[in-house]
Amino acid sequence: MSVATTAPPEIRGKSLKNRKNRKDRKTLDRGDRRYGYVMLLPAGLVIGLVTLFPIIYSAYMSLNNISLTESGYHMNFSGFSNYSILIHSGVYWHSVWFTVYYAIATVAIELVLGILIALAVNAVDRLKDVSLVIMLIPWSLITVISAQMWSYIYNGVYGVLNSVLQWLHLIGSPVTWTGTPFSAIVAMMVADVWKTTPFVVIILLGGLQMIPVEYYEASYIDGASRWQTFWHVTFPLLRGSIALAGLFRILQAFGVFDLPFVLTGGGPGNATQSLAILGEQQLFQDLHFGIGAAIAVSTVVLVLGVSLIFLTAFKSLVEGEAA
Amino acid sequence: MIRSKSQQVIGYVVLILFLIGILLPFVWMLVTSFKPNTEISAYPPTLLPTHWTLSHYQTAFGQFHFALFIRNSLIVSLVSTFLVLLLASMAGFAIARLPIRNKTPLLISLLIISVFPPIAIITPLYMLLRMVGWLNSFQALIIPYTAFNLPFAIWILRNYFLQVPGALFEAAKIDGATVFETFYRVFLPLTRPGLFAAAVFSFVASWTEFFMALVFNTAGQMRTIPVGIALFNGQFNVPYGDIFAGSVVSIVPILILVIIFRKWIVSGLTAGAVKG
Repeated sequence: MSVATTAPPEIRGKSLKNRKNRKDRKTLDRGDRRYGYVMLLPAGLVIGLVTLFPIIYSAYMSLNNISLTESGYHMNFSGFSNYSILIHSGVYWHSVWFTVYYAIATVAIELVLGILIALAVNAVDRLKDVSLVIMLIPWSLITVISAQMWSYIYNGVYGVLNSVLQWLHLIGSPVTWTGTPFSAIVAMMVADVWKTTPFVVIILLGGLQMIPVEYYEASYIDGASRWQTFWHVTFPLLRGSIALAGLFRILQAFGVFDLPFVLTGGGPGNATQSLAILGEQQLFQDLHFGIGAAIAVSTVVLVLGVSLIFLTAFKSLVEGEAA
Repeated sequence: MIRSKSQQVIGYVVLILFLIGILLPFVWMLVTSFKPNTEISAYPPTLLPTHWTLSHYQTAFGQFHFALFIRNSLIVSLVSTFLVLLLASMAGFAIARLPIRNKTPLLISLLIISVFPPIAIITPLYMLLRMVGWLNSFQALIIPYTAFNLPFAIWILRNYFLQVPGALFEAAKIDGATVFETFYRVFLPLTRPGLFAAAVFSFVASWTEFFMALVFNTAGQMRTIPVGIALFNGQFNVPYGDIFAGSVVSIVPILILVIIFRKWIVSGLTAGAVKG
């Protein structure tokens, strides 16, 4: 590849000025493009083998009756029978409903709290470094550890939460927080908000710090109130960060597994049984591979659907990114 | 920036309450790990241990082989992080600087794959690993972790490669460097912060992953820390003291990592999230 070119150091081929240049570009591009694919290949193969292939295979499995015998797995094509079982299962719909509202509620709480806290941190001149380290602790903490930690705090016999609430005279006698459906769901949400809000704050702080100071000065000179400044300057410019933090978190929340596995075991009853918990149970405890695969596929569809809605809503953001 | 005094005060109050809120449960776990069992199950609980004890640390490492879990987690996380950096830096460079087609769909799919729920892939992977006899092995976790952490690392590194002036690419080429030489002699050294950020993200993700570790590596001597801690069950009671002792020790390496690399973690996140 030794095409001498006077073209500007612009390799995306978008700002071509004339035909001759374009011709040079084409030969230039072809070689570089080949290199590009070669360098993408190893990562592409690993991702394809470990994520895309299994997803497709899951879809195939979900159309079969699968039995486990001494000699391995036996599949019998059964059409949509697994899906039909799911559609008629109250337990499944409960899981779908729980997963959806749990994800939406926790992420909404995290975003609102995250915005408030990020604004506060941004207004402060000191403590930035210390806050950063402290905020990164929950993020880097193994979820299983935080679940054990909260299960001790929530314990109905000797949990510290009861003791604090009794001391404040908010409750009369100790409560088993993971014992009733409503309190178990709230308990789980609190643990999740504790662990992931700091991460949201960090992303939003990054966004806040990118807003030019001049905008605030201008709005101050124009006599805007603090609320007007937030609503007309900060918020519109922060929308991109909010959308990205929200997308990341909501997709994560759809797969929620570790926290209920340790904290509630999906209970009481099936109150906190997320799709992932239900799927794991069907697959690895009851060995219903076909139904488990159908649950997995339906989770993927849900996740893809949500991603699509998000990406359409914030299309401009993503296009700006990739340009 | 124009900030009034009252804004500063409110800011400090909110920030300090927030930081205390983050730290309290954490400190409670730390304190509990030094309490004898009678105090752990006392109600109302004692604020500080009346008798400090290291017995839970002894049990965690003696009876529960916690050192083994730490070793397993370290091997799996370090190897997969190394592989992620190797593959993601090449792919990130290709997406940022080479004229490949369909970049936008590629980037969007990467973003979606990086947060895919493991439930979607776990069964076929389990069957595959079982078929080749790799259940309860290091590679049973290293390969999936590498795959799952690649997309986000590619995304981060691509943003860093974009920040290196494109003129360097042409200059190196005119000097007769091949594309690959340009990549590892010119671009890679300039994107060291991005590599740190990607490394920390991928290490933390591998260190904390639970679902696949629970399903693929169930044998006692192959468990990673999260599996070890989740399955730490006593005969009658949950042994919170032992669990917390192990947890506290397992937090140390990550905490050191976070303190050293905090700046890069943030710049990696913000470059990845809201690249302007």
